[in-house]
Amino acid sequence: MDYITGGFIHAIQLLLAGDPQTFSAIATTLKASTLSIIISLLIGIPLGFILGYLNFPGNRQLRAVVDTLLALPTVVVGLLVYALISRRGPLGELGLLFTIPGISVAQTILVLPIVISLTATAIESLDRRLRTNLLTLGARGKQIAITSLLEARYAVLAAGVTAYGRAISEVGISMMIGGNIKWHTRTITTAIALETGKGQFAMGIALGIVLLAIAFTINGILSTLKRKTA
Amino acid sequence: MSSKSPLYALSNVRHGYGREFNLIIPEFYVEQKTSLGLVGPNGCGKSTLLRILSFLEMPNTGEISFLGTKVGADLAELRNQVTLVLQEPYLLKRSVFENVAYGLRIRGERHHLKDRVHEALDWVGLPPKTFAGRHWWELSGGEAQRVSVASRLILRPKVLLLDEPTASVDTHSAALIQKAIIDIRNRFDTTIIIASHDRTWLNSITDSIIRIHNGRIVGAGIENIIPGPWEADTDNLWSKRIGDGNKIYALQPPELNAVAVLHPWDVMIATEEPSSISAQNILRGEIKQLNVARENGRIQIEVQTPGIALTCTVTDRAAQTLSLLPGKKVFVVFKASSLIWQ
Repeated sequence: MDYITGGFIHAIQLLLAGDPQTFSAIATTLKASTLSIIISLLIGIPLGFILGYLNFPGNRQLRAVVDTLLALPTVVVGLLVYALISRRGPLGELGLLFTIPGISVAQTILVLPIVISLTATAIESLDRRLRTNLLTLGARGKQIAITSLLEARYAVLAAGVTAYGRAISEVGISMMIGGNIKWHTRTITTAIALETGKGQFAMGIALGIVLLAIAFTINGILSTLKRKTA
Repeated sequence: MSSKSPLYALSNVRHGYGREFNLIIPEFYVEQKTSLGLVGPNGCGKSTLLRILSFLEMPNTGEISFLGTKVGADLAELRNQVTLVLQEPYLLKRSVFENVAYGLRIRGERHHLKDRVHEALDWVGLPPKTFAGRHWWELSGGEAQRVSVASRLILRPKVLLLDEPTASVDTHSAALIQKAIIDIRNRFDTTIIIASHDRTWLNSITDSIIRIHNGRIVGAGIENIIPGPWEADTDNLWSKRIGDGNKIYALQPPELNAVAVLHPWDVMIATEEPSSISAQNILRGEIKQLNVARENGRIQIEVQTPGIALTCTVTDRAAQTLSLLPGKKVFVVFKASSLIWQ
């Protein structure tokens, strides 16, 4: 037990002292996940809105595909993206392998179904009286669509926060696409995996504390948004 | 468009949501600047008619003209002149101010927006200083309905339609909504069409009332409408079961589901149960509302009997002598022959 307690004490010391290696992993994680979430929101919210708002042929089938992709394993995404961006792959020339943008691209593929599916659900769950109410106030097609999206804003934001939680805590993609390169692509999760393997618990625990703090913050935001949606 | 044309003219309108038509109206006119009440039981077609009049839906068959022009596919333009207050208010997840301002914003009318929103809130008895900044969740049901009414009044519509606007609000809010409706009509000559099952309330706010039953317009005024089914009873009479084992007796109906009309002046009120009386119908009930009838100044009383509310009229003197006040237990008495078949 002593090594665990010792690990905790050392972890606090690392965080308080601003250990460069620890904070490099934190910064890499935040950069990669933030970039991936921005891209996935830009693509996912319009697609989710279309899926939830419009009734077109194939809508249900498309929805079933998106919902299935929610369970996409990170290593499968890692494998596919690796195959595409490795030197031999069709996108090898972009030089994304073992870079933060490379991790972001793969994380975007991972969390995009979450954003699309939860946005579509948010739009579908809007009160049926909303449309009638807007029509009686004189709103027309585009105005009704924009107002509907704004009415679902808290649920859509909650979709983004949920997706961020998934991106920040995944390990498979960061390991396979990032390569866990020190000072460069080492993220919180890959660093924890590496340090634990080496028996160096202090840095692992320090990073674990940071990850938990981020998770608590995300959960806090999520519960606030859920309350506002209700 | 002509100013002399009726506001609405409906011809051979049939509308429904399943295989059957919920609304069948051979002919129906609404004149401009009038105040019309639609009365009838739940599910009779009042709301469907309001949805058609507010251009939310087009009827399955038939024609509608608005101000002399046949209504075609472009309903959006017409909805700028006509607005509907829904029975259950739906407020946008925004402040009260933004809810009331919404209709003007989407029309691009931002001139004196703040003043106009505050004016509309004043009309429905919501002090702007207290309510404009409130969120949608910080309102009671009655306040939410008043915000919903204010968000329509601010548009100064040509036609204001209201679907059971006071069904789920407190009496204070109901009175303020009534005042706001009368005010907007006086100020802007707005045509008012209100659907309600509360005949007494409707009578106090509208010029005329039409009755709807089973999707058909069955009459006008404050008559009591008693629908079937009727079944053969003793002494060559027919009866309809209402609540608590009570029955209403009538003469032989033309068909089992015939609708009977009972004029309010044919209904008597007694404060004690009459014993030696030839009338077959003696129903125990409680006075719900009193109102001065517009036409003749008599007192119009609504009595809730088991299963049916009946309207009757008495003289001012009779009302005073019998101390007829809301809540008083009374007996309503009428002859079987007073029921007239539609």
